[in-house]
Amino acid sequence: MKIKFWEYMGRLKPKGMQSTVMLAFSLISVSIMLVLGVVMYMKFSALSQREMIQDTETLMEQTRERLEEYLIAMRQISDTVYYNVIKENDLSSQDNKIQQGMNIIYEANRSHLRSIAIYNDYGSLMAAEPVASQKEDPDVIHQSWFEKAMEAIENTHFSTPHIQNLFDDAIRRYYWVISLSRVVDFTDRGTPMSGVLLVDMDFSGVSRMLRRINSNTSDTGQYYYLCDSNGEIIYHKKQMQISNGSFHENNIAAAAYKDGVYGEKFGGEHRKLIIKTVSYTGWKLVGVIPESTFTQGMFDIRYFIIMIILLMAMMLAVINRVVSVKISSPILKLNDSVREYEAGEKPEIYIGGSQEIRHLGHSIQRSYEQIDRLMQEIVKEQNERRKSELDALQSQINPHFLYNALDSITWMVEGERNDDAVFMISELAKLFRISLSRGQTVIRVQDELQHAKSYMNIQKIRYKNAFTVIFDVDPAVYTYCSVKLVLQPLLENAISYGVSSMDDSGEIRVEAQKQGERIILSVADNGLGMSEEEAELVLTDSDRIHKHGSGVGLINVNNRIQMLFGKEYGLVVESEPDEGTTVSICIPAVPYTDENRRILEKGHMFGADAINNREKQDK
Amino acid sequence: MMLNSKGLFIIIEFALASMIIVLAFIMVREQSGKDRPRISVIIPDPDASRWSAFRYGLKMAAEDQGVEVFVVSTGDILTLEEEINMIRNEADNGVDALILQPVPGEDAVRKLKEASKKIPIMLVGDPASEDGEKSQIPVTCPDDYHMGKALAEEVLRDFNGNVKGKALGIVAQNEDSVETVRRKKGFEDVMKGKGARISWNVCVSCEETDHNLLENQSKTDLVIALDDVSLTRAGECVMAKDLHGALVYGIGNSTEAVYYLDTGMVKCLLVPDEFDRGYQSLTESAKNLGLYSHSMKGKILSFTVLRRKELFTKKNQEIILTMSQ
Repeated sequence: MKIKFWEYMGRLKPKGMQSTVMLAFSLISVSIMLVLGVVMYMKFSALSQREMIQDTETLMEQTRERLEEYLIAMRQISDTVYYNVIKENDLSSQDNKIQQGMNIIYEANRSHLRSIAIYNDYGSLMAAEPVASQKEDPDVIHQSWFEKAMEAIENTHFSTPHIQNLFDDAIRRYYWVISLSRVVDFTDRGTPMSGVLLVDMDFSGVSRMLRRINSNTSDTGQYYYLCDSNGEIIYHKKQMQISNGSFHENNIAAAAYKDGVYGEKFGGEHRKLIIKTVSYTGWKLVGVIPESTFTQGMFDIRYFIIMIILLMAMMLAVINRVVSVKISSPILKLNDSVREYEAGEKPEIYIGGSQEIRHLGHSIQRSYEQIDRLMQEIVKEQNERRKSELDALQSQINPHFLYNALDSITWMVEGERNDDAVFMISELAKLFRISLSRGQTVIRVQDELQHAKSYMNIQKIRYKNAFTVIFDVDPAVYTYCSVKLVLQPLLENAISYGVSSMDDSGEIRVEAQKQGERIILSVADNGLGMSEEEAELVLTDSDRIHKHGSGVGLINVNNRIQMLFGKEYGLVVESEPDEGTTVSICIPAVPYTDENRRILEKGHMFGADAINNREKQDK
Repeated sequence: MMLNSKGLFIIIEFALASMIIVLAFIMVREQSGKDRPRISVIIPDPDASRWSAFRYGLKMAAEDQGVEVFVVSTGDILTLEEEINMIRNEADNGVDALILQPVPGEDAVRKLKEASKKIPIMLVGDPASEDGEKSQIPVTCPDDYHMGKALAEEVLRDFNGNVKGKALGIVAQNEDSVETVRRKKGFEDVMKGKGARISWNVCVSCEETDHNLLENQSKTDLVIALDDVSLTRAGECVMAKDLHGALVYGIGNSTEAVYYLDTGMVKCLLVPDEFDRGYQSLTESAKNLGLYSHSMKGKILSFTVLRRKELFTKKNQEIILTMSQ
């Protein structure tokens, strides 16, 4: 499956130059943008985290200051009550100055205060403001604020929030307070005594401050809480959830930290803790920023960066496309012109584009021109060579035959057979006239037959009419083209191998007819004939030793025909021992015109197609 | 397959354009923000202090779950028709879920079942009829029968198990409510065979007749208050010395109830976890809205036994804190 997928992907890869350039540009662009995007995001993320932590620290610093102000105010109330009221007056004085003083202070600060009370060291209530009935046996001396005050008499103690359990409230409510307690000396009826001064602060003042800073962060997961130096929670927005176990807080560990920013993993989540210690109390104000808060804040930036990357990628794709087209277009045009050239057309090679591509175009064009020139030279050389071979072949005929003919004429003149000699010379003249044919290679079939007749007439005289010659010719073939002197070697062979050794019964039959699109010229003798194997060798074995004749073999005739008309034409040899031999010349039926002649004389390679096209046009 | 340059260009542009459209859609959706689910709460006399802890639980759960919660303003006593009308109105107003205290009645189960087909409902009281028909609607409430038994066990503990000859008066807000019936049953099952006798039963929310006034009841050794309304009523009577010195044991969840315990007017107080009732019911409803795979589940709530002596322990102070919100 995986292999198939990669095979499929492999097939998908672009193969065109333009696609490759564009894809490469696009990949590089996208990679650069991705790297830029990631770097930007990380930079933004780090910046955002730093800012968020700084903002949180600032907010917490302000809250700590407010808390400290609040606690200082409470402490000042306690100091004022103690130094200005209690120390200055007697509890049992007639004018009840302590009660009045406590009342004034309470009324001035009632928004923060729940009560002010003085207890002696046995836990008995000596004075309280507001005046309220004390609960039945509140067990004061075992309440923690009292115990702590008595433990360290020189200090002022802040308790953790608790329900005030001292006075009977008429509206049947319970109040959360933070108790500030200290040991005080007072005078009752002139007797110095010691006891505990209790200032109960309304916890709502503290909880309001923390609720306010928590309210803005409820959607982000960030929150703040307050605990004492032992980790006991003073305020937490999820105090009840912590209590019933549905939420957990790492408050004990947080209480052990000094002021600063810390990273921790709690409840499977990484988070930042910011710690601020509140003076006088040792309370810890803790800010918690879960990791998810940072990422949540980065969502917008993340989307924004991705959007910019995508838009830039789109733009770059367009630019890449334009650039790749610009770069590759001249090369593609050059390639197209080369392809057209290869397909057989002969367009101008494209010259354009940059200097290098223009140079390439010029080079290719020069190369093609050179190839053309070389080809023409090669063809010309081939033709010349072929022509010279042909001429050589033709020239092989003349000396041998001329010698025999002249020998016969000599013989006739010596024997005073002047008429025969005249006839012989006349036929020889015709023979040579046609042989020469103004140097033409292709002649009419009629001329070729005339040449054959002249030749046979000469030969018959030489062989003293030892054989008969019959010409059976269809006159329709006269006007078609033939290769010059192709019948003569056939007749020469027919005489030499066929009928020369026979007595008067030898017969050579020359036929000419048109069969379809072909002209068939055949020479048949009733001589000795030959076996099938020998007949096959006639056209293939050029090294055979000729027993008789001019030495111009049938192979030469066959080659000449094929040179001019093509391999599908030539000689066909049919022979039966003691029956005779028939050699047929098969050539195309090409009407004899000067133009056809010229075309055919160029050779089969160059002439056949041209003749065919002409014939088609004629039709 | 050979990609030509133009084809590749079109594919790349098309892919990028598609991604931009998808991203833009996500960004617009994120910016427009999803409306918070809204959950309405229908309870009788919702401003009463006995619901303070419950309301606090709702508030905390709403913050945790990110939902908006509305407590529907109702009268002291709700009838079934009123409650069904309110459910219909809230559903029409587009709230996503309802939390309600079912009104006792013959048709309550059937009608609530019908209503729950239109809108998810979480009950904070059991509406099961006396014949035991269940609503199939999730319920978050304490085990009333078990609370009744626990109350009786506290009485027996104080009397070392010997309550023979003791006269009892039982007081409840509504004699017919499933809650009262079960608590009373639990109480009576434990007290059965112990020699105590029930002198009277009083319904404090019924029509004010001589029969229904606590002050007019005969002297008993013990008064058993089965709910917060009846307990505070009994506490008031003790304070006014109208109960002829009877010791009051009861179930309550208001600061008044705690006050009467604190001042000795009530001997023992069982406090159901009302904070958890609010917190759990809303949390379950919100989860049901947010998660398709989540099916709402009810919960049996715990309760705490409060005695005057241990009233201000740290744990108990937290209970009082929830009532004081």
